[in-house]
Amino acid sequence: MAINILIVDDSTVMRAMILKSLRMTGLEIGETFQAGNGQEGLEALDDNWIDVVIVDINMPVMNGEEMIDHMRENPATADIPIVVISTEGSEARLERLKEKGAAFIHKPFTPETIRDTMQTMLHIEGDD
Amino acid sequence: MTDQVKETIYRVAEDVFEKLAFLFSFREEEREPMDYGAAAVAGVTFTGQFEGRLALAVSEEVLPELAANMLGIEEETTREEQQDALKELINVVCGNLLPELAGRKKMFNVNAPLILSPEEIGVVTAAPPAAAAKLALEDGQCDLMLYLDEGVSLDPESSEAP
Repeated sequence: MAINILIVDDSTVMRAMILKSLRMTGLEIGETFQAGNGQEGLEALDDNWIDVVIVDINMPVMNGEEMIDHMRENPATADIPIVVISTEGSEARLERLKEKGAAFIHKPFTPETIRDTMQTMLHIEGDD
Repeated sequence: MTDQVKETIYRVAEDVFEKLAFLFSFREEEREPMDYGAAAVAGVTFTGQFEGRLALAVSEEVLPELAANMLGIEEETTREEQQDALKELINVVCGNLLPELAGRKKMFNVNAPLILSPEEIGVVTAAPPAAAAKLALEDGQCDLMLYLDEGVSLDPESSEAP
């Protein structure tokens, strides 16, 4: 089954890099959606069927952690798997994200890291 | 302590340049700082355990390759894409640098990176940086300058150390 993915990052270049990496993973990617901050991300979730959300932390208007909190409070989005891709290095913040059920990928990343994280999160068997 | 900070800037920058932008860099410790008026300069401020700013200057000639590598395209990139690439580069360098300097138990907020105007470059670079790194890239040069707000010290002997 193809996976619909929402990428939320205020950098257009980073969104393009994540999308490029996703296409290199070998995962069956369906529709992809993009948003520049958490607020736009929530709006995209309202309007589309999304299987996985990939989100940055530091963004204007609404940051990634606030967006995750809104998603978890809404029954319609509470169970959507979330991957945080960020430069965040604080142990306390990473622990907080883990408690919210988000997987974490550190920038800079490789396509293999994205593939492995997605496979684990979505319980997809790998080729190897 | 400055030497340790400088070494950390070099290490983080070299790693991020290679992994994020596929750019290989070489240290150019002895050369003069770049002519920032003729370079593309991005800056990012941060708050948290200590506060300050990181500035990244790169030769204009580097920007097309930087953007193309990050976007994974062979076509010509726009000025906006090149500036976005530079902003993302400094964002990732800064996000990786601060925990290396302060430790992973400390928290920082990194603000949105900006491309600096010539006037802003003059203001930012007027004072000497707390530490700086000078790199050679295939198509040009790159300087990274770390500025700390007044009263902030990275010296562990200082009472204001992180």
